[in-house]
Amino acid sequence: MSDESKGTAIICPACGAENLPGTLFCTECGIYLPSGGPLRTEPLPDEQEGATSRRWVQESTLGVNQLVGITIEVLESGRRVPLALEEGKEIFIGRLDAVHGIFPELDLTNDGGLGHGVSRRHARIHTKNGVCFLEDMDSTNGTYLEDERLTPYLPYELHDGDIITLGTMRLRVRLHKRAA
Amino acid sequence: MRATIDPQKDYYQVLGVTQDASIEEIKAAFRALARRYHPDSATGDAEQFRLVQEAYDVLRDPAQRLAYDRQRASLGLSSDAPLQIKSWVSASVLPALESEQLLYVMAEISPKSAQGTGEQPLNLALVIDRSTSMRGTRMENVKLAIHEFIDALKPEDRLAVIAFSDRAEVIVPSVRGTEKRRLHAAISRLVPSGGTEIYQGLMTALEEVRRYVGGRYVSHVILMTDGRTYGDEELSLIEAKRAAAQGIGISALGIGEDWNDLFLDALAQAGHGLSQYISAPSQLQRLLQQHLRGLSSVIARNLDLFVKPAEGMVLRSIYRVRPHIGPLPLPEGGAIALGHLSDESIGVLLELVVQPEPPLGEHRILRFEVEALCGNDLKRTRLRHDVKVTFTTGEVPPQEVPARLLNTLARWSVYRLQEKAWRFLEKGDTREATTLLQSAATRLFDMGQRELARVAMLEADRIDQQGAPSSRGRKQLRYGTRSLAISPADDKLRS
Repeated sequence: MSDESKGTAIICPACGAENLPGTLFCTECGIYLPSGGPLRTEPLPDEQEGATSRRWVQESTLGVNQLVGITIEVLESGRRVPLALEEGKEIFIGRLDAVHGIFPELDLTNDGGLGHGVSRRHARIHTKNGVCFLEDMDSTNGTYLEDERLTPYLPYELHDGDIITLGTMRLRVRLHKRAA
Repeated sequence: MRATIDPQKDYYQVLGVTQDASIEEIKAAFRALARRYHPDSATGDAEQFRLVQEAYDVLRDPAQRLAYDRQRASLGLSSDAPLQIKSWVSASVLPALESEQLLYVMAEISPKSAQGTGEQPLNLALVIDRSTSMRGTRMENVKLAIHEFIDALKPEDRLAVIAFSDRAEVIVPSVRGTEKRRLHAAISRLVPSGGTEIYQGLMTALEEVRRYVGGRYVSHVILMTDGRTYGDEELSLIEAKRAAAQGIGISALGIGEDWNDLFLDALAQAGHGLSQYISAPSQLQRLLQQHLRGLSSVIARNLDLFVKPAEGMVLRSIYRVRPHIGPLPLPEGGAIALGHLSDESIGVLLELVVQPEPPLGEHRILRFEVEALCGNDLKRTRLRHDVKVTFTTGEVPPQEVPARLLNTLARWSVYRLQEKAWRFLEKGDTREATTLLQSAATRLFDMGQRELARVAMLEADRIDQQGAPSSRGRKQLRYGTRSLAISPADDKLRS
């Protein structure tokens, strides 16, 4: 019997609850579970399968680094935005919309965000146990990390120098670590 | 040669004609398709050609066609029903596991064509809480909304107005929509005083509506209240069930913060109607107009849903997810009453637990059946829809969860989180309730529901610090999350 046919329970990465295989939203905390691991791998157009497949990250694999900040560079305009990283604090990326109360930490309105297909609420960055994550917020035109489309609401690990694409807008990530 | 008849196949669809197509239309359709699929042609398809021929052989012979139509009608497959069932599954190919696994199934019952059967005449009663607490702007807002409601009535509609406090009073008995002046005048004279006793008001309203129930009338009672009723909840629920059995629906609109949401929910559920929270005056006007539109565009009445899981499938839960999210009772072999279908579709979501070691290959895992009264003659119509998936021991191909299902699941899971929080709170477990509301807040924020997320955070803090939520926050969350039902536009979200 292969491992897959045993169908082990899905342990929620957020609250640790056990869910039946096939569950999409944790019954305890409601988080979106990428059910069944390989069953949920998104097809990669024009790319070799597997080789560059980015998997969402489980908490247990996380190391402890000393991240203190992040600089996001808008490649087209060259604008650089330094932002502080704090455990538990979220950085929202999108377009400001005062009427609907959307005030992203990184507002791309003046960088031509609308034309590039950036949603008002497009993506967010947060840190946990010293690792920095990017999460697409079910944006209309998608978030890409190193040219791979992210599954909405799943955290993907960010590395120094990564290119993020929101719709068609390209951003470069610079992570700042505290000197050990 | 006599053709074989297979009622499982939709011959009309094969030929691309409607069920009332003439013999000439059928012939024309056959000729065109036969040319296209003939094995000698460039676009040939032997299998399809054979099917087209089979369909034609049955439909061109009036006796055979009649027999075919009858067989399909008796199986509930007839396509003349004005409604249709569509379904989505979270995965259409599943691994055959040695353990249980979960599958989500969503079904939507919707009108077949955009056009309904035309406007239905209404037989309505408004039940207005005139207790002292309604005094001032609250009563003025209600009056304003009702004046607009009266203006929107059609001449063939009927409306009765009942006001209640400790006692119930018929302000205007059931009159035709032509008597607008009389209705307006009575509403203008309404003065608040006394307490809140819903049962009296409800009974009086039902008496008025019962005088004209039947025929083509869509009969409905709309209750508006801002307070709690004491001691007559049980009686009210029994009356609501009795009314529903007679085809009279009941909706309940709660105004302000002090009414009993659990009771009004139960009342509306028993009455196959809606319960809603009115937090702003403009909302009442909008909701009343919506009600009026929805009721007069009813295309099928008294929908009964039968859910039949195949062997090896266990139904874990069933929820209504459209137009609003809410629990449904587990059917246990019986019917689930879904009320009327208007031009807005009705959606249900099921959690199905697949038992270990399912049979390999493609199998029907679930059958939906809907019975409803359709058309102007209210003919009892039956509709059937099967859901199939494939089980395999081989590799399971990557599959995307249908966007419509995924979006619905996201909303439904938030609704469930907060409902669970209130249940824990009732048991005195404030810690669990706080955690659940915090989770709900995170999920709401992710979905872009910033306002609701903020309310959830606030109430989580309140429960954490004071052990109880605010009445307003609780209602905002309960009624806000259930209205997160998916809109057709959501299908495009992930394109």
